[in-house]
Amino acid sequence: MEDKKIILDVKNLNTSFKSDGKLIKIVKDVSFQLEKGRSLAIVGESGCGKSVTVHSVTRLMAKNSVISSDHVIYRKFNEDGTAKEYRIDKMSNYGKEMRSLRGPEISMVFQDPMASLNPVYRVGDQIIEGLLEHNPGMKKDDAMKMAIELLKKLGIPAPEQRVKDYPHQLSGGMKQRIVIAIALICNPELIIADEPTTALDVTIQAQIMELLKKIQVELNKSIILITHNMGLVTEMADDVIVMYMGRIVEKGTLKDIFNAPSHPYTKMLLASVPVLGMAQGQKLTTIPGSTPNPADLTEGCEFADRCPYCTDECRKGRIPGYEVSEGHMVRCRKFAGNKEVD
Amino acid sequence: MAKYIVKRILTMIVMIFVISFVIFVALQNTGVDPVAQSLGVDNYSAETAAAIREKLGLNDPLIVQFFRWWGNIFKGDFGYSIANGYSIKDGVLAKWPATLEITLWALVISTIIGIGVGMLSAFWQNSIIDYLGRAIAVLGNSMPEYFFALVLIQIFSIKLGLLPSAGRIPVEGSRIPNLILPIAALAIPLCGNLMRYTRNTMLDVANQEYVKLARSKGIPEWKVYFKHIFRNSMRPVITILLFRLTILVGGSVAVETVFAWPGVGIVLTQAITASDYPVVMFYTLFMAVMMLSISFLIDLLGAVIDPRVRLEK
Amino acid sequence: MENNNKTNTIENARKYGTKLWKKKVRKFLNNKLAVFGLSVVLIYILLMVLAPVVTPWDPLEPNFKVKLAGPSAEHLLGCDSLGRDLFSRVLYGGRTSVLIAVISSLIGSAIGTVLGAIGGYFGGIFDKLLVRLQEIVSCFPQLILVLIVVAFIGTGTWNLIIIFALTGWTGCFRLVRSEFIARKEETYVKVCEAFGMSSVKIMFSQILPAVLTTVIVQLTMNIPGYVMQEAGLSFLGFGVPMTVPTWGTMLNAAKATNILINYPHCWLVPGAAICLFVLAVNFFGDGLRDVMDPRQQ
Repeated sequence: MEDKKIILDVKNLNTSFKSDGKLIKIVKDVSFQLEKGRSLAIVGESGCGKSVTVHSVTRLMAKNSVISSDHVIYRKFNEDGTAKEYRIDKMSNYGKEMRSLRGPEISMVFQDPMASLNPVYRVGDQIIEGLLEHNPGMKKDDAMKMAIELLKKLGIPAPEQRVKDYPHQLSGGMKQRIVIAIALICNPELIIADEPTTALDVTIQAQIMELLKKIQVELNKSIILITHNMGLVTEMADDVIVMYMGRIVEKGTLKDIFNAPSHPYTKMLLASVPVLGMAQGQKLTTIPGSTPNPADLTEGCEFADRCPYCTDECRKGRIPGYEVSEGHMVRCRKFAGNKEVD
Repeated sequence: MAKYIVKRILTMIVMIFVISFVIFVALQNTGVDPVAQSLGVDNYSAETAAAIREKLGLNDPLIVQFFRWWGNIFKGDFGYSIANGYSIKDGVLAKWPATLEITLWALVISTIIGIGVGMLSAFWQNSIIDYLGRAIAVLGNSMPEYFFALVLIQIFSIKLGLLPSAGRIPVEGSRIPNLILPIAALAIPLCGNLMRYTRNTMLDVANQEYVKLARSKGIPEWKVYFKHIFRNSMRPVITILLFRLTILVGGSVAVETVFAWPGVGIVLTQAITASDYPVVMFYTLFMAVMMLSISFLIDLLGAVIDPRVRLEK
Repeated sequence: MENNNKTNTIENARKYGTKLWKKKVRKFLNNKLAVFGLSVVLIYILLMVLAPVVTPWDPLEPNFKVKLAGPSAEHLLGCDSLGRDLFSRVLYGGRTSVLIAVISSLIGSAIGTVLGAIGGYFGGIFDKLLVRLQEIVSCFPQLILVLIVVAFIGTGTWNLIIIFALTGWTGCFRLVRSEFIARKEETYVKVCEAFGMSSVKIMFSQILPAVLTTVIVQLTMNIPGYVMQEAGLSFLGFGVPMTVPTWGTMLNAAKATNILINYPHCWLVPGAAICLFVLAVNFFGDGLRDVMDPRQQ
C-alpha cells in the first residue's frame, strides 16, 4: 500500500475509561490503515470496542476517557496530488483544529436516528448548522438550497417541506436520511457510520445501506462501517477488521475474511450468521460462553476461555499478529509459524 | 394549539368555580358566628345581630348567597371584612404590591443565580463551584425560610447594624436596604434546588446522542452548550418554576411576619385569627386564580420551547 | 435429578436474594452522607426516647431564677423566658414534632397510595377527577393551603395531623399512579388477569409490593417537610397550642423583640434542632432512594 493513498492511519490506539478510580481498558493496541475510496468494516459483538475505536479517532469521547496512541494521522488530498497530514492524536478534543476536520473532512452517522436529532430545532436548520459553521459568510438561504438539493439526492420526497419539519414529525428511516444529510452536507472525504441501521426495520436498512454505498462509489469517498451484521459487511465492505474485547483479532480484505477466516473467533462469528439458502436442518452455531468483563482481564488472548483450540501459550503475554497472506493478519498462536506483522 | 388553549382556559374556569364553591360552603359551616364575632361581646344583642344578618343577606339560601357573591365580584365589589369592616378590595388588593415586590424579586434573583450557578457546575463538573452549589442546595433545603430570616436579622441588623430588621418604608432615605433581607431570606434557600436541578438536567442532556452529533459537526463548545444543551435543559427547568413560585408565596407568609412586611401574608394570618371569612375566601380565590394562571402560562412557555408539545397538543 | 435441580435453583435464588440485599446494604454504607444522616437520626430518636434519663429537667416546669439564662453546665443549652430548660424542651418537643411529621406522612402516603393505585389501575372518570383534585391541591402553596384548612377546622395537634395528611397525599399519589399505569401493562399482571385473579388482589398483592419501595422512599422524604411545616405553623401561632412544647412553639419565642435581639439562644436552639434533623433525614432519604429505587433521581 502506498503511503500517500492512505486517508486514515491509526497506530497503537489505546482507550481506557476511569470508573470507580480504576482504569478499564476498552481499546487495546489497535492499528489499521484506510485507503482513500475504500470502505472498511469493523465487526464484532456488542461491547467489543468497535464504537469506542472510531470515537477515539474522532475524539468524541466522554470526559472520563483516556486516549493514547503512537499516531492517528488523517491525510487530506489536494487536487494537484499533494497531501496534507493532520496529526489527530496531537489535537485537543474540541480545539479549533479538530473542529475544522469534523464536518468538511470526517463526519459521522450515529446508531440511533431517533436520538441523533435535536428535538427543538427544525431538521433543515440542523443540516445547515455545520455548513454555516465551516463556510463563514455563507447566506442561510443558499445553505438551505444546498440542503434541499442534498435531500433530493438522498431520495426524500418534497424536501422543501421536510426541512421545515421537526424531528418528531418524521419516521425513523426519514430521520436517518436527515442524519446522513447532516454528515454529507460539508462534502467530507471520510464517513464513519456507527451501526447506522440497527434501529431501523429491514427494508429501510437495505435502502439506507444502498444509499451509503452509492455515495462511496460515485464520489470516491472512504467509509468506515461499524456493524455486527455480517450480511451488511459482504455488501458494503472492501476491507474487514474483526475485533474481540478491544483487540483486533483478524484483519484483511473481504475475500480474506470470508473465504479464509483464520481466527477461531472469526470462524465462529461467521458460522453463527444465517445465510439464505442454507441447507434444511443445518444448524446455526452459537459461540460458547459469554463475553468476559473488561475489568477482569489479565494477560494472554482474550478469547482463550471460549476457544476450543486454547493452549497454555494462549494465556501468556501479548499475542502477536501473524500474516496469513499478504495484508491478511490474524492474532492467534495457531499461526505462530507465520511471519509476525504486529 | 388554539384548541388546546381554549380547552385549558375552560378547565381552569371550571376548577376555579369548584374551588370557590367548596370554600364557600366550608366557610359557612365552621361553627363560628361571624356577626357575633364582629360585634364583639359588648355590643352584641339578638336584635342588632338579626338586623345585620338581614342587611348582609346571611339568611338567604346558601346557593343564593354564593351566586350573589360571584355577581358582586363581577361588578368589582369584593365584599367587606367582617372583623374590621374594611373593603376587601382596598384591604387585600392594596397589600399585593408589597408581597409581589419581595416574591418577584426573590423569584428573579434566585432564578438567575440558580440557573447560572447550575450551568457553571454542569460545565465544570466536580469543581469548587459545583461542590459549593451543592452544599448550598442541601442547606437551603433543610432550613425554613423564617428561621433563615431570623438568622439574617441577628447577623446583619443586630450584630453588624447594616440593614433594617423590619418594615417596608423607612422614615427617611432609600427603601432598598429594607428590601435586601426579606428578599435574601426568600431567595437564597430557593436557589439551591434550582442549581441542583439545572446542573443535573444539563448533565443529562449533555449525554444525549444529538449533542454528540452536534459536536461531530465541528461547532465550537460554547455553541454546543448554549444552542443544544441549554435550550433542551430549559423545559424541565421551566416546569419547576411554578413549583418554586408556590414555595415562594407560601414562604412569604412567614417571612412577612418576621420582617413586619405589610403584605397579604399578614392580612391572611390576621383574617384567620379573627375568623374573617370573606377575607380568607377572597384570598383563597385570588391565590387559586393566580396559581392556575401561572401554571397555564408555564405550559405555554414550555410549548414555545419544545416543538413536540407545541405541535401535538 | 430433576428434583435436585429444582432445589438448587431455589437455593441459588435465595443466595442471590441475600447477595442482592447485602449488596444494597454495602452500597448504602458506601454513601457517607447517607450513613451520617442515619446516625444523626438514630441519635435524635435515642435522645428523644430516653429524654427522662438524659435530662433531669421537666420541660414544662418554670423556674424564674434561671429565666433566659445562657448555656451552662447545669442547663446545657440555656433556659427560655420562663426559665424552662431548653435542652429538655428540645427533646420533649422533638417527640411531638417528629411524631406529628411521621404520623402525617404515614397517613398521607397511605391515602396517596390507595388513591394512586385505584386511579392508575382503573383509569376512567374517577381517575380524571382525582388528577384534577391533585392538581388543585398541589397548585396551592402548601403552607397557605394548610392555613386555609386551619381556618375551617381550627388548630390543635390532631387537627394538624389531619390537615397535613389531607394536603400532603399528592406526591405519593402521582408516583403510585404512574407506577400502576406502567405496570398494569406488564406481562405478569396480564397473566394474573388471564388466570381470573380479582382486581383488588392484583392491585394489592401483585403490583403494590413492587411499588412499595418507592412509597417508602417518598414517605421518608416527606417527613422533613412536615417538620418544617409544623414549625412554620406553630411559629405563626396556628399550630399546636403554645402550652405544648414543639420545635415550632419554641421558635415562636423569637416573635418577642426582646428575645429576638438579646437572647438569640432561645430561638437558635430549636431552629438548629430543626435544620440538623431535616438535613439528616434528607441525606438518609437520598441514600435510601439511591439504594432502593435507582431510577428516581
